[in-house]
Amino acid sequence: MVPVLMKDITFKLLRDPTMRTGIFLAVFLVGGTVLGGMLVPHDPFQINMNNRLQGASFEHWLGTDQLGRDVFSRIVYGAKLTIGLSIFAIMIAVIIGVPIGLFTGFIGGKIDAFLMRIVDGILSFPDFILAIAIAGMLGPNLTNVILAIVLVRWIVYARVVRGLVLAEKEKEYVLVSKVSFSSTFKTIRMHLLPQVIPDIIVMAAIDVGKVILLISAFSYIGIGAQPPIPEWGAMLNEGRTYFQVVPSLMIYPGLAIMLIVLCCNLLGDGLKNYFDIRKRRG
Amino acid sequence: MVKNSLISIQDLRITSKSAEKVLVSNVNLEIEKGEIVGLIGESGSGKSLTARAVMRLVSPDMKVSGKILYKGTDLLTTTPREHRHILGRKIGMIFQDYRGSFTPFIKIGNQMIETIRTHDKMSGNEAKNIALTVLEEMGLESRRVYNSYSFQLSGGQVQRAAIAMSLALKPDLIICDEMTTALDVMNSERVLHYIDYIRQNTGCSILMITHDLTLAYKRTDRIYVMSQGEIVEEGLPEQIRCHHKHPYTKKLCSCLLSLPEAESLQQKRVYLV
Amino acid sequence: MRRILSIVASRLLQLLIMVSVLSFVTFGLMKFTPGDPIRDLLKVDDVIATKADEEKLKKEYGFDQPILVQYGHWILNVMQFDLGESIISKRPVMEMILSRLPATIALTIGGMVVLFLIAIPFGTLGAAYEARWPDFISRWLAMLGASIPSFWLGLLLIYFFSLKLNLLPVMGKGTLAHFVLPSITLGIAMAPMYIRLLRERLISTLQSSYIEAARARGLSKERILFFHALRGSLIPLITMFGLSIGSLLGGITVIEILFSWPGMGELIVNSVKQRDYPVIQGYILIVGFLVVITNLIVDLLYLVVNPQIKQGKESV
Repeated sequence: MVPVLMKDITFKLLRDPTMRTGIFLAVFLVGGTVLGGMLVPHDPFQINMNNRLQGASFEHWLGTDQLGRDVFSRIVYGAKLTIGLSIFAIMIAVIIGVPIGLFTGFIGGKIDAFLMRIVDGILSFPDFILAIAIAGMLGPNLTNVILAIVLVRWIVYARVVRGLVLAEKEKEYVLVSKVSFSSTFKTIRMHLLPQVIPDIIVMAAIDVGKVILLISAFSYIGIGAQPPIPEWGAMLNEGRTYFQVVPSLMIYPGLAIMLIVLCCNLLGDGLKNYFDIRKRRG
Repeated sequence: MVKNSLISIQDLRITSKSAEKVLVSNVNLEIEKGEIVGLIGESGSGKSLTARAVMRLVSPDMKVSGKILYKGTDLLTTTPREHRHILGRKIGMIFQDYRGSFTPFIKIGNQMIETIRTHDKMSGNEAKNIALTVLEEMGLESRRVYNSYSFQLSGGQVQRAAIAMSLALKPDLIICDEMTTALDVMNSERVLHYIDYIRQNTGCSILMITHDLTLAYKRTDRIYVMSQGEIVEEGLPEQIRCHHKHPYTKKLCSCLLSLPEAESLQQKRVYLV
Repeated sequence: MRRILSIVASRLLQLLIMVSVLSFVTFGLMKFTPGDPIRDLLKVDDVIATKADEEKLKKEYGFDQPILVQYGHWILNVMQFDLGESIISKRPVMEMILSRLPATIALTIGGMVVLFLIAIPFGTLGAAYEARWPDFISRWLAMLGASIPSFWLGLLLIYFFSLKLNLLPVMGKGTLAHFVLPSITLGIAMAPMYIRLLRERLISTLQSSYIEAARARGLSKERILFFHALRGSLIPLITMFGLSIGSLLGGITVIEILFSWPGMGELIVNSVKQRDYPVIQGYILIVGFLVVITNLIVDLLYLVVNPQIKQGKESV
């Protein structure tokens, strides 16, 4: 049974052209990172002043930077760092936001109304600037940027989940579960949680891309990852003065960001089509 | 077959491409000049779709075959340009949803001028005069309606303005798709009265699409009965009412609670002739 | 008139909630922050920090008082339009931020012009040729635009137009030419959302009954598209602008840094690096104010543009 089901899902996923492109891009990026890391194992932090600003070669696939470090190794390292941190940040936001959304939406009442008033007040404020402010208050470094992103993002998940629960909880099967003396917790877990999971997955997939953009933007303007950490935005910031001489220092980190974010967006849209989510979220 | 027909639909067949479903088939329908023809059937029987095929308003997902001859030209094969020229100018249509008869954020007067000037080269002032005249003819306060948005008027007023719009171009045929369904009785009567008025004054033909049998008996010269995408019966209103052959028509007529008295039917016909 | 009043009232309430929550959060963060602003300040000034110096400065900025007192003090000052003064430059925060406002507004307007020049043609093309190749192109452009980091796009533009082709100046503000690249970058960064929204709205408008009626009247395809469908679909873009003013103010920050554009964003980033708390707090307050005011203007504008709402009928 299970293999048949898997085959079914795979077939359905691959039928959607958006999803197909996204999956191929993901395979290409992951494969390139893993293979490249095995074939050319340079230390991304190793400075070699005799070997500065080299062009692409067999030894250094994408050349070297202003301190003679291997650009490819730095991009691969940056990929692990950035993607890992984004997924981590979104996971934490989901873990905090989803239960709160489920409970406030299900229980309702005055607490819910009060909380949502506040949430709406915060949500209409630009999250980027709030994150800047939080990072600014706590001190500009990568950890605080992640903290700021989590502090801002969980609210969005709570809000969306609450909205879905409000729409769902008046439906018959939830009411039946309610009157049949199931506990609140059980009703939520059995009936409401499965309903919101597809939305959460789609949202999270797209959000990972957004967070990658956010982290790199923060690092680029100098309040995120600090040198010598090979975060892509920080790499662009560090190499700024050498662009005119060695444009490849500018091209590759940016391209890496774009491809990975594109991949997240494609997968997110593909999943949206797969779960048939339409206009549930603006 | 009728020789002097204005419009003649032959073997019309509409299929849905994606669902591979036949929606309309074997539809043969003739309308003579000056005739009011009723097309009745329950919702979903394909009567609206038939009208839409004439107007080329079927969705691109559907395939239309057969012939729709208007004075000998096949409307299914004309170029979009020629077809547009016939639409509005020669064939007007009035829809059920009166809120959708006019674009909501453009004043009715401007839309009338736009339509008139699309079909006839004339100055804005001339077009305005025509628009005001036809609105007046439809018993509306012409200036107020002219300067209104459609949502500022009642349903009956909007439908009369829509009739006025078609009248302005003096078409040969007006297709009325359930035009009174969304209106109350008084307004319906008023709108239908103006339809009769137009026909008497301009001699145009009318295709009245409705699920309301009473209306069809009272107002039409000839009736086609449609069911499940096919025309099952055709005849004079009395025939359809009293001497129907097809089981579907029988069912349809037995559903009708109160039929108008035979005399009033008679009177109506005298009035129409 | 009653509608206008209720709109204004609800936006004011929003402003009140937003400002109190945000000021509370920033104040709380400042209290629990591991670094100490006074120490930072002493470090910046390169003075040998003695206990006495520290105490003196703490007193000067009121940091020796309990946090709630500090908060209350700050709120009272805010109500008198006094946001305190910068730790670094000693200038009044209000004056510092407001002097940067015109540059940011100018860039916003430039970005909006570019945005609409991109979004309207591509959104319209996508809807008019739904599921055919122009739609395919417009969808892919929107997808790519949403994936490209704005600062990288800016760097590429600088590289090609300023360094390679020598057409436009790289950075700074002054002539109209300085204005071009930042506006283009901002416009492209904002465009994807609008392309998608316009395309979707236009597709659903094109299926509405009034468009059908317009076609039945024999109007030309172009006329229906531009005069009947597009006009109705542009109204949601105004709402979108209100909703996205926040993300615009965020995105503009990065672009201001990139082009050394002397707007509010550049000020805030530099203040964050120097941990100039009064400026950060004041900036948050002013951004919140700008967001709410923009939304209020959008609400009122919507009332004017859409005659149906003026009538109190929101159907269709």
